This record gives sequence, structure tokens and C-alpha cells, in this order.
Amino acid sequence: MQEGLTQQIREKARELLTSAAVDCIIGYERASDGLTARPLFAYEPNDVDKLIFDQTCTHNLSRFLVDKRDSTVAIVAKPCDSRAVNLLLAEKQIQRERVYVIGVVCPGIVEATWGQINDRLQARCQLCREHTPPMYDFLVGEPTAEEPPVEPYHDVAELEAKSVAERQSFWAEQFARCIRCYACRQACPGCYCTECFVEQLDPQWVGIRVAPAENEFWHIIRAFHLAGRCIACNECERACPVNIPLSLLNRKLEKDVLELFAFRSGLSAEALLPLATFKKEERLGMGE
Amino acid sequence: MIEGYQPKIIGFLCNWCGYAGADLAGTSRITYPANIRVIRVPCSGRVDPLLVIKSFQQGADGVLVAGCHPGECHYVEGNYYTRRRFALLHPFLEYLGIEKQRFRVEWVSASEGKKFSQLVSSFTEELAKLGPRREA
Repeated sequence: MQEGLTQQIREKARELLTSAAVDCIIGYERASDGLTARPLFAYEPNDVDKLIFDQTCTHNLSRFLVDKRDSTVAIVAKPCDSRAVNLLLAEKQIQRERVYVIGVVCPGIVEATWGQINDRLQARCQLCREHTPPMYDFLVGEPTAEEPPVEPYHDVAELEAKSVAERQSFWAEQFARCIRCYACRQACPGCYCTECFVEQLDPQWVGIRVAPAENEFWHIIRAFHLAGRCIACNECERACPVNIPLSLLNRKLEKDVLELFAFRSGLSAEALLPLATFKKEERLGMGE
Repeated sequence: MIEGYQPKIIGFLCNWCGYAGADLAGTSRITYPANIRVIRVPCSGRVDPLLVIKSFQQGADGVLVAGCHPGECHYVEGNYYTRRRFALLHPFLEYLGIEKQRFRVEWVSASEGKKFSQLVSSFTEELAKLGPRREA
């Protein structure tokens, strides 16, 4: 089945490049370990035979769309990736007519590191409800019926049930490991600011030293800047070299956004993001 | 309660309501605890969650954001955004290990000097009972 996906992607990519409908195809190719996948930018019809799609294609390629906003590109997008495309469109970061989305019906992505593949699905894929992209121009694969949702926030609820002191120590331990490489930011399709708040010098919100308070500040604000925007591709957590459970932060906010505003990010390109809008009559338990 | 412990509160007060309310408390000679350190902001919508987190990190025991009542914002709709933002931040703070009682968003109009005074008193009392923030 996956060979079929690769073939269909290659055919479409060749057609798009040959007809010069797009300047570039952003897709996946086999990494040099011969097992995992890495991003590929295909500019020539000759490049398209390098394109692949299988259960190792973990990257969220929509990360590159903002950099490529001045050219016309096609992108290979899994369901979560296509939600990120919707987010970028909703936030007016890219133009619809300059991006062609090759949506892929996703079989779920497996855990893999350099030179080694596990057969187990990634945590995000075990919780995934959408195997068909919510938006695409061309669909590869057969749409599947939506699966009944699993309880997606059980680990968040477990942490919520702990005492304040336990939660405080838990996060202090997690943040203490951070080396502030900002790989989480670099992997994130929603983190596209040209100047990130951690790099501002006047005022300098976050010192450059790697220290508990600075680390904590970075992680809280990073997560909150993605509140109501995060599309749960979990690439931040995968990119983290010290295994900080960033999805516990992101999914807590995702859960609260769903409860408070009945909103899930990335399902529509016209959506108004929850913190960029309001309803006069809502109450929300603030100041009453 | 710890003997002699005085909680520190950082208060972000909007220029048009919260701050004017505090001012009215002053000119009306209504007393309120000196535990609050007031920072005047143009609108409660100006209060970035970053300022709240920074306050806690720099040693605040409690943070208060006070703005105009919804529907009465000087800038028409600034406080509606405040409301959404902090409705989301509040449970997130708790999740990170900052007690729910340590953060408050309140609506105080320019005529509510009394309310402001009562608010600061009750907040101070509550924080004094809670004690200082635990070192992580």
C-alpha cells in the first residue's frame, strides 16, 4: 500500500514540475542511513524519483512554507501537516494560490531514530483521529473512515490530578534538563516570528544563560504562544534532544481551548483563532 | 500562617478603570494593604502573559490584573481579549505548579474605590494564609 503512495506522489510531482505549475516540491526522501526519511526539495523533474512516503516520514514539512512564501510550491502533507498549512493560511503567512497540497492518507508514523526503526507508532499517532487530511488539492491514498476517538488527554489528566507541589517539582525537573538549543522552536510550523521573544535584547525577557528560571520562562511562553494554534504534530517533542515532554504542555492548552472555546486548530483556513477573537456574552469565570 | 509574613502582590491596573479605582480609594481615604505594587498599563489587554510569569519568577506571591468591566473598556474591546487570554492562562499556571489563588483577574471601574480596597485586602489575606511560594 505504501509503495502505491510513493508512486502516486511521484506521478503528481512529475506532472506539477514538468508543467511548471510549481517551482519546487517539498517532500521526503530516504535519509543516508537507508532507513529513515528526511526532507527533500525537488526542483527538477529528474529529482522526483527520490520522493518517498512511508511510515518513517515524520517531519512536518509545512515548517518550510513560510521560508518559501515567495515561490510557488507543492508540499507533501500528512493530516497533521495539512492542519499546519491551514494554520498558516488562517494567520495570513502564506498565500493559498502559491501552495499546492498533496495530501496523504496517513497510516501513522513509527518511532525511529537514526539507523533504527521500531514498529511501534509514535504517541501522537496512537491518539490521532484524522487519518485523512482536512485540506488538500490532491489526495493520495484511500480515505479511511474516522476512527472512534481514544481518550486523548489521559496523561494530561493524570498530571492535573497531582498536588501543586508535585506538579511544581515535576516541571522543575523537566525544565532543568533543557539546554535551550531551541530545536523545539525550529521544528514548529507555528513558530515563524522573524524575531523570537527570547532573542529580543531590549527588553531582554530571557537571559541567554542556561538556568532554571530562564528555561522555565522559555518553555511556558513558548507553549502559550502556541495556545489555540498548536496542531499537535508533536515535532517539537521529537526534536528535543533531552526528551522534555513538551506535548504535556501543548496538549494541556489544547484541551483547555477545546473546553473553553470549543476550538481545534488547523481544521479550516478561514478559522478565527480563539485568542484573536471573543464573544461579548461569554463569561469564562474571570472577575466574577 | 507565618508570623510577620507579608505577601507581595504585583498589580497590573488599567489606566482608565483599575488605576482610577485605586486612585479614588486614595482620594477617598479608603485604606488598603500596602502589599500591592501597582504597575499602570494602558489597558488590561496590554498585559502579556509573559509579564505575569515574570512577576512570579521575580518573587511575586500573587498577581492581580484589573481592568474595566466587560463592555466598558476605554478601547471598546481590549478587555474581551484579556478575558479569553487569562481564562486560558489561569488553569495553565495551576498545571505548572502555581496555586490558583495566586492569580486574579478582576473588573474594577473608576467609581469602585471601595471595591478595589476590599479586593486588595481579601487577596492579601488569602495569600498570607497560603504562605510564600515554595522553592522548586
